[in-house]
Amino acid sequence: MRHFSHWFLLLCILIFINNTQAQSRVGRYDWLLPDYVKLQYAGGIGFLSAGVGYTFVHQRIDATFFYGYVPNGIAIDDLSSLSLQFTAKLIRIRLSENYQLLPLNFGWFIHHTFGSDYWIKLPSHYPPEYYWWSPGRNAGIFIGGELKTKWLARKTPASGIAIYARIGTRGLYLASKVGNSSIPITDIIELGFGIALYR
Amino acid sequence: MGTTFKIILLFSTMFLISCEGLFDYSPYQIDFEGENKGVNATNLDRLLKANQSDTITIAFTGDTHNYFDELGYFVDKVNTFPNIDFVIHVGDFADFGLPKQYLWGNGYLLNLEVPYLVLIGNHDLVGNGLEAYKEMFGDFDFSFVYQDIKFVFLNTNSLEFAYNGNVPNLDWLSQQLFPSDDFSKAVVVFHMPPGIGFDPELELGFYQTLSAHNNVIMAVHGHQHHHEVYYPTADSIPFVNVYGVEHRMMTIVKIYQDKIYVENEAF
Repeated sequence: MRHFSHWFLLLCILIFINNTQAQSRVGRYDWLLPDYVKLQYAGGIGFLSAGVGYTFVHQRIDATFFYGYVPNGIAIDDLSSLSLQFTAKLIRIRLSENYQLLPLNFGWFIHHTFGSDYWIKLPSHYPPEYYWWSPGRNAGIFIGGELKTKWLARKTPASGIAIYARIGTRGLYLASKVGNSSIPITDIIELGFGIALYR
Repeated sequence: MGTTFKIILLFSTMFLISCEGLFDYSPYQIDFEGENKGVNATNLDRLLKANQSDTITIAFTGDTHNYFDELGYFVDKVNTFPNIDFVIHVGDFADFGLPKQYLWGNGYLLNLEVPYLVLIGNHDLVGNGLEAYKEMFGDFDFSFVYQDIKFVFLNTNSLEFAYNGNVPNLDWLSQQLFPSDDFSKAVVVFHMPPGIGFDPELELGFYQTLSAHNNVIMAVHGHQHHHEVYYPTADSIPFVNVYGVEHRMMTIVKIYQDKIYVENEAF
């Protein structure tokens, strides 16, 4: 978890910036509340992942923490992981009063799998640089789209619900694919979709 | 909302149906099925049921790392040879130890017409590779007798077990090589030769165990990617170092009347 400290620091700074932009909000600690919660299926970060996050820069940048879980039965051992992802929402199309389409979201994520097998720092019994990668920390990229709606907006405190999908890959898969034309591109793809509830 | 909702529902359903198999839960998800489970046992079964002749011919490859295309070329070439008894991959089958890489690797080897056996390499053990290997191939240390020759497969990746003193398992090796009625000579196969990564405390014992009964006709290993036949022990057991698959060269060993004949083939 030590490795997350700098991400937390970055997040705190972003939240602070965000706060100064959002003076109109009421409630002294409201700014601490996440701007949205997400529930995601697949996408390489869990069978199901629960996320909380904040938006910055006029809702163009998202930072989301996900806790992902793969239950035993789907894999031979259950897997827990934490990921942090940043998404830049480049295009916003207003379809109607109730619908907004964000067709081009670019994202970058870093994914930590928990457990002693998934080390981040090379264990001390290895000679230096024996392996160049860390099984416990993988980074990846994705592109995605989102449809924001005002469903439930009048019935709940949420301002709206969004559905989104994302298609991505990670560094270790790309490294495996390079030079191997016989590996189908579909084999290195991580597809996922989810639902977001906005505050 | 009605129409839009229906359109969204329709597209989502189409999306889900067309994309099944692209959904990925974790790079460490192990969910092998069918021909990707118990592979060594299945192949041993095939091998021991096959017609046997007086010459054993084995094609060796190893150290796939990220050369998956080359592994495919190896398979294509082996399939053109009429008299290969079986294939041995000497480990480093999955470069990052990822379950997906195990599946890729086995995907190529499944196209072999002859039985094949895969040994554990150090890379195969990174992450949860240990479980992936067990699930796909089975035990790390195993042996079988084919045509009066005992083939002993040994996990020598000591460093992956933090030099715990049990890898390689010399007691087990010693039991395997102890003379018995069911075999006359033995071949020992392992991934990592003595050197960096091989427990220095066990090195002497390893050589002594190999030489103890004067019945080992050959030791074969990978890890170093290049080919040579050398004699590290005083009693001259030949050590055959197998090409990494990226060289597009394979090592073929023929065993006839307890003697070995080593040749190399380009692919």
